Amino acid sequence: MIYFPQLSSGATGQFPIVRQRMARTVINQSAQDYQIKLADAAAAITEWHLSFEEMSDQELAALEALFQAVEGRLTPFTFLDPADNLLAWSEQQNQPVWQADSLLILTGGVADPMGGAAAYQAANATGATLTLQQSIAAPASLDYCLSLYARSDQATRLWLVRGAETYAQAIGPQWTRLISAGQLTDTADSISFGIALDPGTTVDVFGFQVEAQVAASLYKETSETGGVYPNARFQSDAFTITTVGPDRNSCELDIVNVEYL
Amino acid sequence: MFPTLKTGAVMQYPAKKTLLFNTDAIRFLDGTEQRFRDNASVLHQWIIQLDLLDEAELVTLDEFFLSSQGRFGSFSFTDPWDGTVYPNCSLAGDTFSFQLRGEMRGKTTLTVCENRT
Repeated sequence: MIYFPQLSSGATGQFPIVRQRMARTVINQSAQDYQIKLADAAAAITEWHLSFEEMSDQELAALEALFQAVEGRLTPFTFLDPADNLLAWSEQQNQPVWQADSLLILTGGVADPMGGAAAYQAANATGATLTLQQSIAAPASLDYCLSLYARSDQATRLWLVRGAETYAQAIGPQWTRLISAGQLTDTADSISFGIALDPGTTVDVFGFQVEAQVAASLYKETSETGGVYPNARFQSDAFTITTVGPDRNSCELDIVNVEYL
Repeated sequence: MFPTLKTGAVMQYPAKKTLLFNTDAIRFLDGTEQRFRDNASVLHQWIIQLDLLDEAELVTLDEFFLSSQGRFGSFSFTDPWDGTVYPNCSLAGDTFSFQLRGEMRGKTTLTVCENRT
């Protein structure tokens, strides 16, 4: 899998980050100003403008290697949006994108820590550990941060699943944001994130978020698509680098994701 | 419904609103004019400039743009000047962009226009 590299800090981008979404709407406008509209969902375009400053030679080499591997605009690569939650349907664990063990009981419409009712209750009435996970098509070897809010009427523990690794975290009646971050040695082209419940445990969960970085940022709700773009391309065939001293490089990149390509 | 910020507000200062009539004017050879309405009523347009947003607020707007599919979708918009609810409005453009200059330093602009019903 060809993918956009992370910096040594584990981040995919530096501030400022600019993201632009473009839709296409065909409009038939009458002389009286009435409109008939037709959406062209397949023509959607997402663009990012990324500026990198004070990059090391190693970081620059990784970007340059990617640019050469994809031959400029020619071939696509996987881009993980640095300003988005990588999971889809972050508040709808009943969507098919979430893989729940069949005996795990999920109940929606539970009060969430943001004052709404978008949390889910997950109950494991069996004698085995059950999981709720979502897999994303991104390299498992990158730095990721999984975060979610959880609570339970009884003091218990909840396992956070990040690829092949699981971490137990203690929870109680108060909502707590649980975080699991780090880098795996796995080289797979996909990675799963989620939770695992011990036998007989019932927990309320909300705000699942995965970011390609080492720490959690504010929770961002997602719907049909998360921030994984497997069909991203460079916008230009030129890659200009400015070096102002040893190990001090900068560059600007435009990346585009076009659904119909 | 158009999303609100965490403060509950829809817009920030400087807030801009435009009222749009559509008048046809025919000027005759003797210099006199005849004017008539092309549209039955006024249409409203709001330019929403937002700054110092956090990522969650930006993503809420982004999700709203995606669910509206740009100019295609329609929604109700409450005029922050007088509280009037305009039930049939759309985004004016098929483009939504934002800039993140740092944490909780997001900036974007959206234009909402009232549709003829």
